[in-house]
Amino acid sequence: MNSLDKSPNFFIREIPLIVLLVFWVIYSGIETIRGRFDILTSIIPTGLFIIAYVLVRLTSKAQKGRD
Amino acid sequence: MDLFLALELIALALTGLLIWHSASTRGAAFTWMFFIGGAFLGLVRENVVAQVAALNLYSYSPVAFHLWVGAAPLILMVFWSYTVYLALTFSETIVGGNLIIGKRRVWVILMSMVFMSSYACLNEAFASMYPMVLWKFKPALTIWGGTPAMVLWGYAGMALIFLLALLLVYKLRIRTIYRVMIFCASVIVMIPLHLLWIAIFRLATSAIG
Repeated sequence: MNSLDKSPNFFIREIPLIVLLVFWVIYSGIETIRGRFDILTSIIPTGLFIIAYVLVRLTSKAQKGRD
Repeated sequence: MDLFLALELIALALTGLLIWHSASTRGAAFTWMFFIGGAFLGLVRENVVAQVAALNLYSYSPVAFHLWVGAAPLILMVFWSYTVYLALTFSETIVGGNLIIGKRRVWVILMSMVFMSSYACLNEAFASMYPMVLWKFKPALTIWGGTPAMVLWGYAGMALIFLLALLLVYKLRIRTIYRVMIFCASVIVMIPLHLLWIAIFRLATSAIG
């Protein structure tokens, strides 16, 4: 059976979110530690993408639950 | 351990996770093409940009990076592929589309471009702290940390060019190995296109500076 025939588990499915969150936390963490509050807002645009992604995932799960 | 070396190793490890995700959800052909083509593009493009003085763009700080391939840090071998892969995956989920199948393809590409610009803010502001990149020109418009605003446009253009080239080659009805080779060879078209894309922005904003 092809590996694509099986639905990937939660961990594999959410790898992109985990990867982006790791980068996001590292970058914002180092900027905070080094006191670079002047550039800390640079994390906001990617943060909005993370929020949008999580919301879509949650609503699609809720939709599936109702169906 | 040095902070930068740790970051380079973390980025390589996280790219490994994305390759696993791609192989599990998109198949081997797509994964080979995307990540080998991305590595080839990263190394060739960044070496060209760093070494061709006439382009007058940037080079990489020898203080910041440890692992090199020519004039480009090794991390660039995975940088463009992991950022475009994140852009593609996030965009497909958010707009409910699929680049390869063709579902809401235009929206997927446009959203990927927006994602790349957002990621440019995160990455380039961070890079300006050390700095990781040594700019060879005085930009007309800057964002956080004095980074040229051109990078937002540049990252978006990379998503557009990379995804269109990938789609074009992926749809060829030939063996995977040939598609990978053609996609790698297509960097000789992708790089000039991307440099042209950047030149348009520089030209358009030159009046401001």
